[in-house]
Amino acid sequence: MSDLVLETEKLGKVYKLGGRQIRALSDVNLKVEKGEFLSIMGPSGSGKTTLLNILGCLDRPSYGKVILDSVDVTKVSERELYKIRRHKVGFIFQNFNLLPYLSAVENVELPMEGTGKSKEEKRKRARELLKLVGLSEREKHRPLRLSSGEQQRVAIARALANNPAIVLADEPTGNLDSKTGHEIVKLLGKLNIEQGTTIVMVTHDSSKAALAGRILFLSDGKLLEKEKQGTHLLKKALACPNCGREIQPNDAFCPSCGKKL
Amino acid sequence: MKALGALTRAVKNVSRRKIRTFLVIIALSFSIAIMVSIPAGVIANQKATQDLSEDYNKIISDIQEEINKTATLIEIRASSGRPSAVPSGAPPFGFGQRGEAFINETVVDEIRSIEGVKDVVPFLEVSSEETTNETVNTPRGSFTISRPLYTIIGVPLNSSLIDSYTILPTNITAGRNLYDGDSGVLLVSSNLSDYLGIGVGDKIEVYGEYFSVVGIYEPAGQAATEVGTVYMNVYTVQSRTVYMNISDLQRITGNVGNTSRLDVYAADASYVDGIAEVIKTAYSELYVATYKDRLQNLERTQEMYQTTLENAESTLSQMQTVAFQEIVIVIDATSLIVLFTMLYTVRERTKEIGILKAIGFSNWNVMSQFMLEGILISLMAGVVGIAMGIVGAPLLSSLLLPSVNPFPTQQQGFPGQTVNFGTALSQSVTAVPDLQTILLVFGVAVALGAVGSLYPAWRAARTSPMEALRYE
Repeated sequence: MSDLVLETEKLGKVYKLGGRQIRALSDVNLKVEKGEFLSIMGPSGSGKTTLLNILGCLDRPSYGKVILDSVDVTKVSERELYKIRRHKVGFIFQNFNLLPYLSAVENVELPMEGTGKSKEEKRKRARELLKLVGLSEREKHRPLRLSSGEQQRVAIARALANNPAIVLADEPTGNLDSKTGHEIVKLLGKLNIEQGTTIVMVTHDSSKAALAGRILFLSDGKLLEKEKQGTHLLKKALACPNCGREIQPNDAFCPSCGKKL
Repeated sequence: MKALGALTRAVKNVSRRKIRTFLVIIALSFSIAIMVSIPAGVIANQKATQDLSEDYNKIISDIQEEINKTATLIEIRASSGRPSAVPSGAPPFGFGQRGEAFINETVVDEIRSIEGVKDVVPFLEVSSEETTNETVNTPRGSFTISRPLYTIIGVPLNSSLIDSYTILPTNITAGRNLYDGDSGVLLVSSNLSDYLGIGVGDKIEVYGEYFSVVGIYEPAGQAATEVGTVYMNVYTVQSRTVYMNISDLQRITGNVGNTSRLDVYAADASYVDGIAEVIKTAYSELYVATYKDRLQNLERTQEMYQTTLENAESTLSQMQTVAFQEIVIVIDATSLIVLFTMLYTVRERTKEIGILKAIGFSNWNVMSQFMLEGILISLMAGVVGIAMGIVGAPLLSSLLLPSVNPFPTQQQGFPGQTVNFGTALSQSVTAVPDLQTILLVFGVAVALGAVGSLYPAWRAARTSPMEALRYE
């Protein structure tokens, strides 16, 4: 059984502008494993957002396949795509995209509408998530009364509302100062470790990208061959190579099988 | 739960744009108020026309009945109208100060001597000294007329007459009727006793002399008391009347020897024409009305009523056409107001639509969200509009509907007064919306909110999330 959460095969996107064809993405083959924190780096116009929009089912590729949590989403009809977006994907945007007239907790509850959860269940889950991102005290505040960093934390909590297979973060630090941006990426890393959330983050900021576990590079719509390890410890790396059970970074012996690490 | 969340958001969205919502609700409210008022106006006028028709039929049948009962009666009047002022007394057919005429009592004896005459009953009708101002509403506006406060009818209190003929009112509600030989006493109509606040045993001053009220009667239908002359005064204020001994009235008004009306009873119906002919020949200045004349009058009245009703129905039909056109316009306007408001809202909130779709809202979720907002606005406007309609229906319906005046020309009322009686419909009709209309309009308002927001909501639902997210 594959541990891949997301896989693309020869993914491409071509735009037609005034009779001209613009290749935004070309033959992108991407594999994201479960529990991975991946960042995709690239300069402006390299196709990062286009890729993320296609991965998040906000846009359709011109060709190629996108297999998300074992579902080939390119074959899902437009009318049914909302279910993929609702249950399998969590989106974090550069400019937060919170609804200004809803409080923090109501914004987090929003994706849970139509999932069959009761009002109480939704409120409980939203509060848990706000606690997770450190905003328990601010749940009744509307976005305008929150700082940029706090707004992005609410957006992160919202992305996790339906426990998605993957969280896609599009330049999540783009509208934040360096320190706050750093904290946000750290928070994503923490969620990746503690919650096992699979995260794909696109950014043009190498310092933020380096905080992920693996870094890929996108240039002119093509995914480059080279990849780098980030400073983030992949959750996968914290498993015992012998029994596969979880181990801590400082363990000398596997607490489960007792073998030397 | 989903609907509740959508509703909460709809309420928040509607309330966060207060001025816009207020203006839209005001605009819609006017439309809805008109929707309430126009049917109310039409229904009120339909009812008024129906009532008019029923009243007319009742009047005609009452008159017919009365005429049938008085086949042997010949009515003689000194003038064609009613008394209105104090007479100076100028026998045999002298004219009073304001133009009314009198018949000298010597004529009574002369008529009594004609072959076939069984009895002659003299009456003296005089207006009260006091006058009252009354407002008459007409399609051309309201005006105030001055008329006597009441009419005094002097009747011969002679048991041979009062027992044999209908001389006095019969419907006594308090006290007693006038008896043979009564003097210094009055029988007062209930509307006058109410007006003056007097009862049996009280005294009132009539032409400088005090009279005791011995009884109060309920006036019969106007038509029944006006047999023979057939006034078209169905919609005027019912006469306030006082009955007293004719001798008393002649004395206090300085009309000793004067009468104003004679009821001549023939021994048999076969004598009526002959008697009438003799009287007309001998007293050419008197107005003589027999059973046949009364029937002719009745036919003329019927024709007039018929014309009036036809006019009313014709104008009512015009009113219904205009009402239908106005309702169509108002419905269109309401839908368009909702449509443009919601189109603007959808455009303004494109980004929000993108966010909702990005986090997993279905097309239907988005569509229902905007439709709910449209319905919510029209719901609020429905409540305000219906309230406005209930209060403003009389004004709005009179402004928006053509006035229904079934009386094409002015009718002659009392002598010396030209009174337009076209008050039964139009201004005097008060449009009050009924519950059925209110509920229907409320339903229509909500439905128009849904219809008006359908297209904008559909557009919102079809918006591509990616494009919507780019929208600033």
